[in-house]
Amino acid sequence: MTATSQSHAAAGHPRTLSELPIGRVGMWWFLASEIMVFGGLLGAYILSRIAHGGWTEEMTHLNSTIAAINTLVLVTSSLAIVQAHAAADAGDQKRTQRYLFITAALGLVFLCNKAYEYSIEIHHGFTPATSTFWSYYYGMTGLHGIHVFAGIVWIFALAVAVGRPSWHAIRQRVEYAGLYWHFVDVVWIFLFPLLYLS
Amino acid sequence: MTHAHHNTRLYVWIWGALVALLVLGMFVFELHLSKTTALVLIFSIAAVKAFLVLRNFMHLQGVPPVLYAIVGIPLLLAIAMVLTLMPDIAFR
Repeated sequence: MTATSQSHAAAGHPRTLSELPIGRVGMWWFLASEIMVFGGLLGAYILSRIAHGGWTEEMTHLNSTIAAINTLVLVTSSLAIVQAHAAADAGDQKRTQRYLFITAALGLVFLCNKAYEYSIEIHHGFTPATSTFWSYYYGMTGLHGIHVFAGIVWIFALAVAVGRPSWHAIRQRVEYAGLYWHFVDVVWIFLFPLLYLS
Repeated sequence: MTHAHHNTRLYVWIWGALVALLVLGMFVFELHLSKTTALVLIFSIAAVKAFLVLRNFMHLQGVPPVLYAIVGIPLLLAIAMVLTLMPDIAFR
C-alpha cells in the first residue's frame, strides 16, 4: 500500500481494491456475475414482452397485494441484516445473532407467501407450460426464490456460528451475507414492478 | 480491516422511505394513468428504492472507483443487450 492510499484509507475512503478485505471484493465479483444472470433474464423478458404485445391480459391474473406484502417483508429483512452488520462491527454478539435470525425468518415468510401465491395460480390453471408469459413468470420468480432460499440457509448457518465463543473470526462474514441479501432485495425491487405493476 | 460507518437510526429512516415508496408505487398503479406515464413513474420509484439500498445498506459510497466498474459493466452489458435487440423486435 502506498503512502497516498494509506492516507485515503485512514480518512475512511479506500482508493484501491487492495485496501478492501479480500472477501468483500470477492463478494462484489460474485454479485457482478449475478447481475449478468438476472440482467440477461430481465432483458429477455422485456424484449419478449414487447414482441408479444405487452401481456396485459395475462398480468391481470397476478396478485399484486401478495407481491406488495412480500416486498415489505424483503425490505424489512434488509433492515434486519444491516442492523446485524452494525451490531457485528460494534462487537455485540447477541444483537448480531438476533438480527440474523430475524432476517432468516423474514426470508422464510417471503418464501411461504410466494408458495401460497404459486398455489393460487396453479389452482387456476396457470403453470409454466401455459404460455410464454407464465414461463417467464415462474422462471424469474423461481430463480429469485432459489436465491432467497440459499440466502436463508447461509444466514441461518451464520447465525448459529455467531453464537459460538470464537465468533470474532467470522464477524466479517455478516457483511458478506448482508451484501448478498441486499442484492436479492434489489432484484425483487425490479421484478415486482416488471411483473405486477406494469 | 475496514468497517462501514453505521448509523442505525438512518437505517430505520431508509427503511421508512422504502416502505413509503412501495406504497407510492402501488398508489400510482391504482391510478390507472396512461401506460407511458405509469411506466415512467413506477420504474423511477423502483430506481430510487434500488439506489437507497445500494447507497445506504450496501455502503456503495466512498468505495474504490474500480468497484463501480465491477458492478456497472455487467449492468451496462445487460442494458446494451436490450437496446441492440430492440430494433429487431420493435420494428419488424
